[in-house]
Amino acid sequence: MSSWLDYTINGLIVGNIYALVAVGLALIFGVSRLINFAQGSLFVVGAYIGWVAAARYQLPLIVALPIVAIGAAIVGLLIERFGLRPLQNSVRIAPLLATIGISFVLDQAVMLIFSPNPRALPSGLPETRFQIGAGTIGLLDILIACIGVASAALLFAFLRYTKLGWAVRATAQDRDAAMQMGVDVNRVNQTVFAIAAALGGVSGMLVGMYYNQIDTAMSLQATLKGVVAEVVGGVGNVPGAVIGSLLLGLVESYGVAVLGTSYRNLFAFLLLVVILTLKPNGLFASSKQLPPEPLTGTFIAPSKPLAVPRWALALVVLAFAALPFAAPSPYLLQTLTNAWLFGMLGLSLTLVAGTTGQVSLGHAALLAIGAYSSALLSLDLHLPVGLAILGGGVIAAALGTLLVSPSFRLRGHYVSIATLAIGEIVALTILNWESVTRGPIGVVGIPPLSIFGYELVSAQAVYWFTFTVMVLLALIETRLLGSHLGRTFRAIRDDDVAARTYGVSLNRYKSLAFIFGGFAAGVSGAIAAHLYSYINHETFNTQQSILALTIVILGGLGNVVGAIIGAVALVGLPEIFRIAAEYRILIYGVVLLLLVRFRPQGLMGTV
Amino acid sequence: MSNASRRSLLRLFTASAAGAVLARAGALAQSSDPIMLGVSGPLTGPNAQYGAQWKQGFDLALDEIQAAGGINGRKLAYTFQDSQSDPRQAVAIAQKFVADPAIVMELGDFSSPASMAASPIYQRAGLVQFGFTNSHPDFTKTGDFMWSTSVSQADEQPLLARYAVEKLGLKKLAILHLNTDWGRTSKDVFVAAAKALGATVVITEGYIPEERDFRSTLVRVRDANPDGLILLSYYSDGALIARQVKQVGLKQPICAASSVYSPKFIELGGDAVEGIHLGTRYFPDDPRPEVQKFIASFKAKYGGTEPDAFNAYSYDAMNVAAAVLRIGGTDRRAIRDAFPKVKDVSTVIFGPATFDVESRRVKGAMNAELVVRDGKFKVWDGKKST
Repeated sequence: MSSWLDYTINGLIVGNIYALVAVGLALIFGVSRLINFAQGSLFVVGAYIGWVAAARYQLPLIVALPIVAIGAAIVGLLIERFGLRPLQNSVRIAPLLATIGISFVLDQAVMLIFSPNPRALPSGLPETRFQIGAGTIGLLDILIACIGVASAALLFAFLRYTKLGWAVRATAQDRDAAMQMGVDVNRVNQTVFAIAAALGGVSGMLVGMYYNQIDTAMSLQATLKGVVAEVVGGVGNVPGAVIGSLLLGLVESYGVAVLGTSYRNLFAFLLLVVILTLKPNGLFASSKQLPPEPLTGTFIAPSKPLAVPRWALALVVLAFAALPFAAPSPYLLQTLTNAWLFGMLGLSLTLVAGTTGQVSLGHAALLAIGAYSSALLSLDLHLPVGLAILGGGVIAAALGTLLVSPSFRLRGHYVSIATLAIGEIVALTILNWESVTRGPIGVVGIPPLSIFGYELVSAQAVYWFTFTVMVLLALIETRLLGSHLGRTFRAIRDDDVAARTYGVSLNRYKSLAFIFGGFAAGVSGAIAAHLYSYINHETFNTQQSILALTIVILGGLGNVVGAIIGAVALVGLPEIFRIAAEYRILIYGVVLLLLVRFRPQGLMGTV
Repeated sequence: MSNASRRSLLRLFTASAAGAVLARAGALAQSSDPIMLGVSGPLTGPNAQYGAQWKQGFDLALDEIQAAGGINGRKLAYTFQDSQSDPRQAVAIAQKFVADPAIVMELGDFSSPASMAASPIYQRAGLVQFGFTNSHPDFTKTGDFMWSTSVSQADEQPLLARYAVEKLGLKKLAILHLNTDWGRTSKDVFVAAAKALGATVVITEGYIPEERDFRSTLVRVRDANPDGLILLSYYSDGALIARQVKQVGLKQPICAASSVYSPKFIELGGDAVEGIHLGTRYFPDDPRPEVQKFIASFKAKYGGTEPDAFNAYSYDAMNVAAAVLRIGGTDRRAIRDAFPKVKDVSTVIFGPATFDVESRRVKGAMNAELVVRDGKFKVWDGKKST
C-alpha cells in the first residue's frame, strides 16, 4: 500500500502544474468576469520565449524567467489593448469569443515562427532528486510548487492590501461605481492582464521544462485543465484555484490508481460535474465574495434583429435548392453540405443558448451520440438508414437532455463549463466502452445515406438531403419560437427569477429546449456518420463544440436564419482561405476578431 | 443584408469554382504541364508537425524525380490541401480532387478518421487514395482504389515481440500504448505475438495522445512487477514516458516500437532514453545505398537537419507514386491497375518494395534492431541494457 503515497505525491506534482494555469485564469475572471480562452496561448507564448532565452541563448534560469514574464506580459497588454478594450461596452459574450479568436492568432503565429515540431526545453537545473516513498522529487518539482504557491500568495496580498489591488476588486464588483469613484478602470484591466499573462507565460516555460518538451498544440489542453481546476476551486478565487488544482491532480492520480490510465480524464471531468452539482460556485467561493451571475441570459445582447422579409427567405431557399443544377462543382456542394450539417448543429445550439440562455460548450457530444446511435442501429440492428438517423436524433435528444440536466440549476458561465465537462465525459465514455462503441478502433463500414432503399451517394443527392433536413428543422424551430413556448424560453433567458415567480417551471422548459436541440444535433451527427462511413472517438471533438458556439454567436444568438448564415460563413471561410495554406487559420482568427469587433451582436442580431 | 451576404458568399464560391474549371481546361490543353498529385493532410491544427515533415520528404523526392527526367518526360508536382486531419475538411478536399481532372492520384490523409471519411468518395469516383501513414486495419478495405505503404502492424509487431522476448529475454511485460486506432491495433498484434513466444503480459495501459503526465500510470506498472516495458508510442509521448520512468524509480529495460524513431526522441528524452531498445524500418546507419543517399541529400537540402521516420515515409510515398505513374501513365484507372505491376521500387523504409494484391499494402518488413547509446541510435550490440 506504499504506492498510495506515490499516487498522492504524483497527484500533488501534477496539481501544481495545473495551478500555474488556473491562477492566471482566476485572476482574469475575478476582474473581467471573462473566461480567457487565450490563457493557454499565453502559456505557449511563454514556453517559446523561454525556449529562445534558455535553450538558444543559454541564459540561466534566473535571467530567463523574468524575460519570459515580461515578454508574456507585453503580449497580455497588447491583447487587452487591441483585442478586448474596444469590446468593453459591448455584450459579455463578445470578449469571450474574442479570446477564442486571439488564441487562434497566437497559436498560429507561434507555429509559423517556430514550426510545429515539438522542441526540447531543458531546465538546466541540477538533476538532484530526493527519494520520497519509492519515487523521487526533483528540484524543478519543488521550484514549480514554490512559484505556484508564492504567486498565489502575492496575488492574494496584492488584492487584499494594496491600493491598486482594492481598485482591481472594486472594478470586479461594479465597474461603473468604481469608475465614478475615480478608479482608472482601464489601468486596472491592464494591470490584471499583464500579471495574468506573465503568470501564464512563466507557467508555460516551467511546464515545458518539467516535460522537456514544448509544442504549439499544448494550448487547448492547458486551458481545459486550467478551467476545470479553477471552477473546482471557485471561479475567480485565487487561493481556491490552487487548492482546486491540487484536488484535480489528486483525483486524476487516484483515478489512474483504481481503474487505469484510460480513465484519467474521465475522473477529472466527473469531479467537475459533481462539484458543480453540489456546490455550484465551486468549493471556496463564498457567496459574498463572488455574486452569482445575475441572470441566465447574461451573455445575450440586447439588440434588434435584422428583419428578413419572408419572400426574400423563400427566394434564397429556392436558390440554394436549385444550386446543384447551376453549379455542379461537387467540392462546392460538399462544402455547403458541411455547412448544412453545422447549420443543424447551430439550430440546436441557438435554441439552447440563444433563447434559453444555456450556453453549451459541449455540443459535439450530441453529434457524437447521434452519430454512434445511428451507426450502431444500422450496423448492429440492421435498421434502414433513414430510421437509424431518426433514431440517432431521438437518442441524442433523450440521452443529451438527461446528461445535461445536472447543469439546469447552474447559471451563466457555469453552464458552459458543466457542458464542456459533459462533452469530454461523452468522448471518454465512447473511447472506453469498447463492447458497444468499439473503442479507439472506431466504427467501420457505416452504410451510406439512403431513403426508401435508394442510396444517396452523389454530391448532389447528399446536398439535397441535408439541405431539406436542415430547412425542415429550421421551420419547426421558427414555429416553436413564435409560439407561447418560445416566449417562455426567452422569459427564462431574460430573467429566470421573474419567470419562476410567474410560475414557469425552469427545469421542464430547459429540458424541452434540450430535447429539440439534442434532436437537431443528433440528426446532424447521424448524417455525418453515414456520410463519412467511419467514425471514432476523435471525429467529434471539443473544437467542433467551439466552432458551434462561434457559429451561433456570429449569426446572432437565438436567430434561426443567423445560425445558418453563421454556419455557411464559418465553414465556408476556411475553405475560401484554403489557398493561404499554413496561414489560413491565422487569417480566419483575424476575420473572427474583426467580426466580433464590429458586429458583436452577431450578423443577424439577437432575437 | 442576409441576401447580400449569402449572395456574395455564393458568388465567391462560384467564382472560385469557375476559376478552377478554367485552370483545368488549360492543364488539359498542354501536356507539358506537370502531372498533378493531390495531397490531403494537416498543415495547421494539432497534427501540423506531421504535414510539415511530409512536405520536406515530398520536395526532396520531387527534386530527384525531376532530375532523373520526371515521369516519362513530364514533371511531377503536388498540391497540398490543408485538412487539419479533420474528417469534415478531408471530405471536401476529396470532392475537390475528384472533380479536378488534372489530379491523377491522391496521397493522405494523416489520421484514420480523416482518411477513411474521404475513402468512399475516392472509391466511387475511381481516384487512387494512396495512404502512407494509415495503419488502421480496415483502411484498404473500403475498395480497390485504396492502397497503402503504411507499416502494417501485423508485420512489424511480431518482429518487435521477437526482439523483446527472444533476444532481450523479457518474459513478464508491461505495455504502454497510445489509445488510438494505431496503438490499439499494434497492442493486440504485439500481445498475441509475445504470448506465442512464451511471454506473459502483466499489465497494459492505454493513454490518450494529449496525455503528458504518466507518473501515476508508471506506479501501476511498477506494482505489476514486470521485467520489461514495451512502449507503443510516437516519439514525443515516448520521450515523455521515458523521462518519467526514471522519476518513479523503474529500472527495467524498455523496448519501443519503430514509431519512436526520430532524432527528436533523443532531443526530447535526453539522458532518459539512453539504453532504450527499438525495432525500426529506418535508421541512418543502415549501409544500404538508398538510405545513405536519402540522408545525405536530405541534410544537404535542409541545412544539416537529420531526417526522421515521417520524412522517410513521405519521401518513399512520392517515389512509389512516381514508379506507379511511370507504369500507369496519367489515366486514373490505369494508375490503380499499375500498383500490382510495381516491382522492387527502391525505398528507404521497405527496401525493394512490391505490393501485396490481396491486402493492397506493401509486402514484407525490413527490420533493424537498435539501441540508444551515448545519445545516438546504434545497431544493437547484443548486450542487454539495464
